[in-house]
Amino acid sequence: MRRHPVAQMVIVGAIASAIGIVIALVIDWFPADAAEQAGPIDTLYDVLMIVSVPVFVLVTTVTLFAVWRFRMRPGQENEDGPPIHGNTRLEVIWTAVPAILLVSLCSYAYAVLVDIEEKHDDQLVVHVTGQQFAWRYRYPQPGGRAIETTALVLPKDRPVLFKVHAEDVIHDFWVPAFRVKIDAVPGITTEVRATPTKLGRYPVVCAELCGLGHAVMRSSVRVVTPAAYDRWLQEQTAPAGGEATGGATAGGEGEAGGGGGADLAALGRETFVSNCGSCHTLADAGTSGAAGPDLTTALRGQDEATLREDIVAPDARITEGYQAGVMPDNFAETLSAEQIDGLVAYLASVSR
Amino acid sequence: MEAASASSSLHHAGEAAHHGPPEAHRSSRVDPQMLGMLLFIISEIMVFGAFFTAYFFIRVVDGNPWPAEGTELPKAIAGVNTAILLSSSVTLHWALEAIKRGNRPAFKAGMATTFLLGACFLFIQINEYVHVGFAPYDSAQASVFYGLTGLHGAHVALGLLLLLIVTVRAFRGHFSPQAHRGVEVPGIYWHFVDVMWVIVFSTVYLL
Amino acid sequence: MTAKLRAPGWYRSGLFLLLGIAFSWVLVGVGRLAMDYPNAWTDGEAITTVSLIAAPLFFLVGLGCFDYWFYWASGRPTRAEDHSSHGAESWKDYFRVNTDHKVIGIQYICTSFFFMFVGGLIAMLMRAELAQPGMQFVDTATFNGLFSVHAALLIFLFVIPIFAGIANYVLPLMIGAPDMAFPRLNALSFWLLPVAGVMLSASFFAPGGAFASGWTAYAPLSTEMPLGQVFFTVGVQFAGAASIATALNFLVTIITMRAPGMSFFRMPLLVWANFATSLLVVIATPFIAASQFFVLLDRALGFNFFDAFVGAGKDGSVLMYQHVFWFYSHPAVYIMMLPGFGIISEIISVKARKPIFGYRMMAFSLLAIVVLGFTVWAHHMFVSGMHAWIRVPMMITTAIIAVPTGIKIFSWLATMWRGVLRLDTPMLFALGFLTTFTLGGISGVMLAMIPFDIYVSDTYFIVAHIHYVLFGGSMLTIFAGIYYWFPKMTGRMYDERLGKIHFWATFVFFNVTFAPMHLLGLDGMPRRVADYAEQYATLNLLVTIASFMLGLSMLVFLYNMVASWRGGPRAAANPWRALTLEWQVSSPPPIFNFDAVPTVVGGPYEYGVPGAVHGIFQSPAEAKPTTAGSVATSPTRE
Repeated sequence: MRRHPVAQMVIVGAIASAIGIVIALVIDWFPADAAEQAGPIDTLYDVLMIVSVPVFVLVTTVTLFAVWRFRMRPGQENEDGPPIHGNTRLEVIWTAVPAILLVSLCSYAYAVLVDIEEKHDDQLVVHVTGQQFAWRYRYPQPGGRAIETTALVLPKDRPVLFKVHAEDVIHDFWVPAFRVKIDAVPGITTEVRATPTKLGRYPVVCAELCGLGHAVMRSSVRVVTPAAYDRWLQEQTAPAGGEATGGATAGGEGEAGGGGGADLAALGRETFVSNCGSCHTLADAGTSGAAGPDLTTALRGQDEATLREDIVAPDARITEGYQAGVMPDNFAETLSAEQIDGLVAYLASVSR
Repeated sequence: MEAASASSSLHHAGEAAHHGPPEAHRSSRVDPQMLGMLLFIISEIMVFGAFFTAYFFIRVVDGNPWPAEGTELPKAIAGVNTAILLSSSVTLHWALEAIKRGNRPAFKAGMATTFLLGACFLFIQINEYVHVGFAPYDSAQASVFYGLTGLHGAHVALGLLLLLIVTVRAFRGHFSPQAHRGVEVPGIYWHFVDVMWVIVFSTVYLL
Repeated sequence: MTAKLRAPGWYRSGLFLLLGIAFSWVLVGVGRLAMDYPNAWTDGEAITTVSLIAAPLFFLVGLGCFDYWFYWASGRPTRAEDHSSHGAESWKDYFRVNTDHKVIGIQYICTSFFFMFVGGLIAMLMRAELAQPGMQFVDTATFNGLFSVHAALLIFLFVIPIFAGIANYVLPLMIGAPDMAFPRLNALSFWLLPVAGVMLSASFFAPGGAFASGWTAYAPLSTEMPLGQVFFTVGVQFAGAASIATALNFLVTIITMRAPGMSFFRMPLLVWANFATSLLVVIATPFIAASQFFVLLDRALGFNFFDAFVGAGKDGSVLMYQHVFWFYSHPAVYIMMLPGFGIISEIISVKARKPIFGYRMMAFSLLAIVVLGFTVWAHHMFVSGMHAWIRVPMMITTAIIAVPTGIKIFSWLATMWRGVLRLDTPMLFALGFLTTFTLGGISGVMLAMIPFDIYVSDTYFIVAHIHYVLFGGSMLTIFAGIYYWFPKMTGRMYDERLGKIHFWATFVFFNVTFAPMHLLGLDGMPRRVADYAEQYATLNLLVTIASFMLGLSMLVFLYNMVASWRGGPRAAANPWRALTLEWQVSSPPPIFNFDAVPTVVGGPYEYGVPGAVHGIFQSPAEAKPTTAGSVATSPTRE
């Protein structure tokens, strides 16, 4: 008698689980995958879904079935159920089975962890520094001065070890397309590994709340062919000299490198977009950050000396409604002299 | 926290006057005030535990020199101070035994001595802050030093407040061989403060 | 007037509040003069910080929380206990220091719901901003403040205290005690709560805006925030002190005041759940107190606990904050869940008319969760940059803690099996809880898996998970419990039809609000952002609309509660035919709960057992036994 409804339940449960698993696996819920690490992590997700969906379906089916089958019907107002106090075998089963399942999941997850954090000999080391509210990158060069940029460029198929630092508060260096992230912690260096596998441009996101501009602390990573990477490296190491183009291309691909013009303002605009735009709105530069004052209006009629001071010593004058101590006060160190000259020239030109 | 410790020793006073509610059934031989104080002490141990976590991270995990370079901790003075605090535990125990036997003069003398020894400890501790030669903001190690000893100092101050209450009541003729819970419960707290000091002293000064 | 200012109450507390602020001002001024600091009398930040600590204490003294103890401490003869601060005759009695656990329970519940509505409205503001990409209604500073205050209020002023409130009302009744072990401490711990709530909410008026570093208040962001952060740092201390004092009170009450015959294994599971929760609170809560002490010391006195920038003396440890914080805040998740488990056990057993399946395992799994709960904290820190090896043991313990949780869920299912299910409002909420909490538990196990966590931590997946646990879990159990005990607490019946409307609206819109957040997180949307990329726009709009509907469904609840309390039909002593002791006395219970302490002679859930009795009343004069209760015959098999 009772077998029959249980069998029904099993069938309904199996069908529902199958549908759930298909939905979970067929639709691609993730953003683009662009690193070796993405594969194992996405597979882990699939496995977790295959295990989880039936568990959820089990609980839901039993609940719904109990509601359908055992709900009180008119006339049963004073009836009680049978006094079943327990069943040792059943209790042992639902303690042991989940425990075994969970331990096996952990073992699998551990294998995945080892896989995605595997060390490589030919790894490229990139230093990442988080600061309110921008990312900076440093490429150590054998026997030379390290390259400092605000653009992250990586060669395809080469393992990268990111050494992550923080200047002020905790940030989190996250490339969703690589599936990996790590906090940038003041006082210590943290590490994360990724091996880019697909050409293209992917967002870099700060994932740890870091203050007013957290939502706009964005950057991007460009995965290029090894040849293009070497070329880019060459450009970076070339003496900046009178040619400001190097700094300009650092800002990103697609932007005209300043060409023959190479004037300060173009460099300044480039510098603005990659260093200031995440916090400041400026119509001319097309930025829309909201952490700091809107420079489209705030800069009206300022002279170059004031502008320069606003950049290198931001707390000297604070626009009404904003607080001191929010804007980084170390741009004099993090930007080159040309970049600051360029910024001043550019801002002076747009604020006239 | 103050409230918690006080109340645990206070509740019994009103009990005699119960006329409305039925007498609650005592389902455990443990005394409620005593149990309350023990649980409160567990909480307190955890507060110290968190401060020791800070100590552990800054000294052990991060491997910073201890004490910070160029500073020195006055081990000798702190050692003397430890002796003072420990002897106050002895006198407190003596006072409690005295009231249990009904020896009121010894009880009063014991309470007064305990209070004075505790106050003496606190005075020396503050004096040590003045002369130790570094400030909490000088280094992380200094922060931990002031944090741990300061936290303990605050507990000594709170304990002294409880002892003061007991002492005042002792001189007003309260307590008897039958009713001395009001001495016992603050006493437990004071012994806890002493034991905690031994741990603070050994980790911060000696190790 | 002077008489009013001398007697404990609101006039005196107002006066004392002003005194407290003046005291803080003088204290800061004298201190700064002594230390030769500039502008001794005009440092607003220092004065505010000290006032936030001292003024509430003065306020509480004024209100009369400490009167009795002052009398006692000064050695004066205490006034005979006339129970004048016991019970409530009019609504005014709920606004003074009251030592009756039933009054305190109601005070707790109403205060918590007040802050629930404040926190909920804040959530509506956040969702309004997030309806579209770009900035529309608030700026980023305000937005960061909104989600921080939202979380802090709902965690520290709603979920944790409302469970304390429900237990405050029900627990002494359930174990046959006339009151809590320390009634005055109980009153004090309640009054600390509005203090904390007002402080957290008032941070919006601080210069620089509300605290905006999240409810986690990670250092060093929190040590650099404007003044509003101090409102959190200090407010949490008051909430934490309240919570520790209540937990201590529960433990002592449960251990020393059970009715004769009420052995540990005859206690209702709600009592077990609060026993387990209180253990967690007493042991873990001091850690969040300490973490906020560290922040306060760093901010106010220039300590270097978290000052880790390169330079002389800058050797602070940033990760230490997270270890200390999560050592409390992970157990806090169980503090916010275990009492709910207790409520669900009561309701499912009574409504399915069957004994709890595997009672002992249910009790032991609570204790297992308590023990394991202390071993999993660092799973919040898989991407924090801590030593890598800590992650693996934390992953295993985190996965294992799902086993006792699973035992509970399966046991509830087995309890329902072959029962006679009454599908009224409390039961519907209990069933809704079973399904949504299972989802929250499953996403919890997924998050335990380090590689997956590395990807989704700090994304909307986390937001979805925590809301499935705290809304789909705790919140639904709270509603279930409130509906279940509403007749007992108010003596009135709630409106069943409105209750069901409330359930279905809440259940549906809860899922529509939070389920899509899983997908947003998987797709890479970080949490705690006021602005987001265009690709997330559609789902966010859906979430916002659903969240507004969810907000509206709360109005149905509010109306039902207020209207039913004022004019609902009178409730019988035992409308659910339950066996536990609180249902064997009148609704609402008499002022001292029992005329004589009952004797317990059997388990609390013996439904369907012929002749089963839980408690016997020796003098049944007023607390007349009802059908299901203390008569020696079977309540149901006539």
